[in-house]
Amino acid sequence: MLTKRQNLMEVIKGGNPNRFVNQYEFMDLIMEAPMDLPLAPAPGTRVKNKWGITFDWPADQIGSFPMHDDEHKALKDITDWKNQVKAPAIETSEEAWAAAVAHANSVDRNDKFVTAFCAPGIFEMTHHLMSMEDALMALYEEPEAMKELIDYVVEYELAYAAEYLKHIQPDALFHHDDWGSQISTFISPAMFDEFILPAYKKVYGFWKANGVELIVHHSDSYAATLVPEMIEMGVDIWQGVMTTNNVPELIKKYGGQISFMGDIDSGRVDFPGWTREKIYEDAKKACEECGKLYFIPNLSQGLNISSFPGVYEATSEVIDQLSKEMF
Amino acid sequence: MSKIEEVKAKVEAGKSKLVPGLVQEALDEGNSPADILQAMVDSMGVVGDKFSSGEIFVPEMLIAAKAMSKGVEVLKPLMAGDGSTSLGTCIIGTVAGDLHDIGKNLVSMMIESAGFDMVDLGVDVPADTFVQAVNDNANVKLVACSGLLTTTMPALKEAVQTIKAAHPEMKVIVGGAPVTPEYAAEVGADGYAPDAGSAAVKAKELVTA
Repeated sequence: MLTKRQNLMEVIKGGNPNRFVNQYEFMDLIMEAPMDLPLAPAPGTRVKNKWGITFDWPADQIGSFPMHDDEHKALKDITDWKNQVKAPAIETSEEAWAAAVAHANSVDRNDKFVTAFCAPGIFEMTHHLMSMEDALMALYEEPEAMKELIDYVVEYELAYAAEYLKHIQPDALFHHDDWGSQISTFISPAMFDEFILPAYKKVYGFWKANGVELIVHHSDSYAATLVPEMIEMGVDIWQGVMTTNNVPELIKKYGGQISFMGDIDSGRVDFPGWTREKIYEDAKKACEECGKLYFIPNLSQGLNISSFPGVYEATSEVIDQLSKEMF
Repeated sequence: MSKIEEVKAKVEAGKSKLVPGLVQEALDEGNSPADILQAMVDSMGVVGDKFSSGEIFVPEMLIAAKAMSKGVEVLKPLMAGDGSTSLGTCIIGTVAGDLHDIGKNLVSMMIESAGFDMVDLGVDVPADTFVQAVNDNANVKLVACSGLLTTTMPALKEAVQTIKAAHPEMKVIVGGAPVTPEYAAEVGADGYAPDAGSAAVKAKELVTA
């Protein structure tokens, strides 16, 4: 019986896995690391994070949103970003990292990847700061200022990575950045190549140059047209890949260069009236169409959770069942 | 290239700094404000079609709409009170329980560019608020309801049915990631569009039919 880590490697290297990789089972996410997470922590809360971005999570919603009205928008004028944006200080003390170190030390690395977690992504940071509309228009109207801002976020990420590596040697990185809606990328591949690709080549290149074996990138969106860029920047697994991308086709085209984790859309199965039957139907279709190599069946959600209680666990049970049926 | 053709080209290219001057030059050449406005509406129709077909992306659509709005600012003083160029008022909002605004904003921008006067109710809009907005505003021809979450589909249905109960003749268009043409028909909407470009086309079609 292969360990979770060995089985994952068989899947992404085109070897002989003895079951499906079951969702996030191969990653042990070190969530205790001192990074300022962007989101409000719970329904009914509102927080201003260390970048000055206010996130609101209304009581009756399933997630939090950055606020961009005049009062709350952190960056009001991209040409003045140097005065309006200030990256938070990175925690360096042993005390601040102690819980993360203890967690990492407790992981059996033969079984799982000790995994660093980074969110939000670089593109996301630009629109969290200034709103999606302002950020996208600034790519045309103030491209140099946008490149400077992106470089600034990259420098912060690199400094965080360097500090992380002083305390913990992770085996994998799980990094968020949503690059599209459900049916399209937000920006063209050409614009992505100009602004976003160079940033990620630096960030992912740094983690890999320092011993990180596996880069898992989350974008629960359409991004099929950006797969060549993902490969170029060093992504090993695209997590969150939605059915709108035609995952079986992507596997045929790019399998061996990158693997795909998802193809069970959370929006279709994770809602108050969810059923195991519906999850089974979608997961079975995904597994049958995508096959056993370069594919990890998974909800498109960007963590090992679901919006409604029980859905993540039921999906894991279904995938175990499908492994028994198909292997 | 005539000035009016230049206006069209620069709106499509999203040159918001150039468009106001070109609109003024087109006026100086003797073109009527209505013709210049129509040229910009036509440009945005092309932009919408290119967006729907995947030829251009959100930033290109945003800067084109901004360029058009800069051009409209030049025309507005000359067209005040001239309702003949408007297709009517469109009320738009994201339904109750849903805070997503980016898609709704893009649709609003494109419907406005097609020639509607927009009243944007924002996000998390209760069904009754749509009805109230229809009552409170003049010449409302269309209501556009957006819903992005599977969990807010019942709110979308409630919004459409509440609007239709109060104003049976009112045209209602719906959209959002989980919405399908079948669902739109099932809840009683008159129209559905999968993206902002086609929403503008559909909106125009619904009120001019």
